[in-house]
Amino acid sequence: MIEFRDVHKWFGDLHVLKGIRLRVAAGEVLVVCGPSGSGKSTLIRTINRLEPIQKGELIVDGMKVHDPRTPMTKLRAEIGFVFQQFNLYPHMTALENVTLAPIKVRRMPRREAEALGKEVLAKVGLADKLHQYPAQLSGGQQQRVAIARGLCMHPKIMLFDEPTSALDPEMINEVLEVMRALAREGMTMIVVTHEMGFAREVAHRVAFMDYGELIEIAPPEEFFARPQSERTRLFLSKILTH
Amino acid sequence: MWGIYLEQLLQSLPFFLKGLWMTVAVSGLSLLLGTAVGFLWGIVRASRRRILKALIGAWVDVIRGTPFLVQIFILFFILPEFGVHLEAFPAAVIALSNLAACFICEIVSSGIESVPHGQREAAVSSGLNGYQQLRHVILPQALRVILPPLVGQYVLLIKDSSVVSAIGVMDVTRAGWLTVQRIPQGILVFGLVGLLYFAICYPLIQISGALEKRLGRSSRR
Amino acid sequence: MLETFNFRVILEYLPLYGTCLLATLWLSAAGLAGSLAVGCAACAMRISRFPALHWPAAVYIESIRSTPLLAQLYFLYFGLPSLGVPVSETTVGILALTLNSGAYMAEIIRGGIQSVAPGQIEAAVSSGLSYLQRMRSIVLPQAVGITLPPMLGQAIVLVKDSALLSLISLMELTRAGQILTSERFMPAEGFLTSAALYLSIYYVLKALTVWSRKRLIHLHTG
Repeated sequence: MIEFRDVHKWFGDLHVLKGIRLRVAAGEVLVVCGPSGSGKSTLIRTINRLEPIQKGELIVDGMKVHDPRTPMTKLRAEIGFVFQQFNLYPHMTALENVTLAPIKVRRMPRREAEALGKEVLAKVGLADKLHQYPAQLSGGQQQRVAIARGLCMHPKIMLFDEPTSALDPEMINEVLEVMRALAREGMTMIVVTHEMGFAREVAHRVAFMDYGELIEIAPPEEFFARPQSERTRLFLSKILTH
Repeated sequence: MWGIYLEQLLQSLPFFLKGLWMTVAVSGLSLLLGTAVGFLWGIVRASRRRILKALIGAWVDVIRGTPFLVQIFILFFILPEFGVHLEAFPAAVIALSNLAACFICEIVSSGIESVPHGQREAAVSSGLNGYQQLRHVILPQALRVILPPLVGQYVLLIKDSSVVSAIGVMDVTRAGWLTVQRIPQGILVFGLVGLLYFAICYPLIQISGALEKRLGRSSRR
Repeated sequence: MLETFNFRVILEYLPLYGTCLLATLWLSAAGLAGSLAVGCAACAMRISRFPALHWPAAVYIESIRSTPLLAQLYFLYFGLPSLGVPVSETTVGILALTLNSGAYMAEIIRGGIQSVAPGQIEAAVSSGLSYLQRMRSIVLPQAVGITLPPMLGQAIVLVKDSALLSLISLMELTRAGQILTSERFMPAEGFLTSAALYLSIYYVLKALTVWSRKRLIHLHTG
């Protein structure tokens, strides 16, 4: 479904992705962790070309994302993206937020889109918040609307960029719960997160990134029990004692 | 003595109202044209089209850096040398629209740039195309920032329109200038002219201030 | 266009343009100095709690902001003589620029004072400074930095506004263009040269504005 072939990216002089090789199969849940500045956010932002790559090949759903000639709007519609800061549209209600893309990109009739939007918002537990504006919702609720916004496009892939990092601790679980349910349904997911409990429980594989390199990737039981690299061990010891 | 002059002045009130109508026509027309062009330029300026951006930026600088009176003289006196003969009214509308467009362009582009980057990223990620991003996500939010200075700009436009009297457009200022030759009471005559401008501009300034308070507050809610 | 553009005439009129450029700079500078004084006074009156001070300033500022400079200029130019006050064109011109720009200056200064963080004033109050002491040693020094860029913007406006003084026959840059038009029928040479000179003043002031903004950022980030 997603394949990185020796992908490099620079921000000016800064080499942020150093030869990433990675394959994610359909239906797989991959958790990516690593210290801040390790390039993990950049990694998933390249998948829908929020960040273009400079070297290597990146194939997503059979499309060459590395090729500047590949039209991205169509592919982006197939990939849901959930941001750390939610990025909900503040001038639209929850329902309007989730139905905008189905109406405009998929050309779905408004009534049909609204029925879909209500269904998906109900699925993330927000059936009673349809007509609230983002500013009237808690952080956890906003992030669930953001997930619903992605799901309304019936995406083939869902990408999560530290979806719980901006949340108060008591709201983290309501968001993770929605993501667990998605994983159980067989959604292809890449999740950048520090929630190791979630990784252990839901991920098929866990990857560790540092200084723009993919240091280690393994199924969770192996990853947590027998980390191969010293850097992974150090990172895990820091993050797990918290 | 002022009594006689006041009476004479009141008799020429219809003349002033005609001038006021001309002021409203020139500035109203320029306001519409200038807003349309200004939004277009502003959107381009906030985009990534480098050459177009630079061209618009240079033009805006030229217009902002020279007096409007000189611009209108150039348009009115120089174009005929190239065989383009413009009446005073269209010349005034063109010059004023261009002036408005240049200022509105700046307001619009900084309004667009005030929308957090994440908003565009979210719109991009849902597969919206460039036009859809602008129309449904960026502009509705930018409008909050754009609207108060835009109304303020309209006030400047109406005031700047007084300058077109210099090429003979019969606006309120011109009406005053002609009248003062007949009724040599500058305080009375231009007091009236000022009052007429005040009647249009003061409410607009209040609206701009109110918009700023309201939109400024609600965007932070 | 360039082949018909008569550079020789411009050369011939160069001394005139030189004098006129200086006149524009001098008139604008006089207007700037005057409007700074008027602006400070009007602002101090407007933020005062005494109605006798507050209201005249408010009426002055609002009526200036709601009417065009050209109408204000004619008001003084035709009005002062009709009141029996003999004044020269130069005095009328500088007076009009001063009164007009003074109202905007007052608003700029008010904005600067209001933008000083309330915490600063509370801190000053807590250390027992009086109103005047607070203004002088805490509020104004900070407000000056904040108001510098908009004041330079106002200076740009003043230079351009001074072009209107040509309409009451004052010698300045725009008038030079008019003279070339009437004496030699060369409006292109006349007004484009004026425009180019205005533009060069603008670029200098704009560069100063950019510089003052940068300095402001340093001030705020320590």
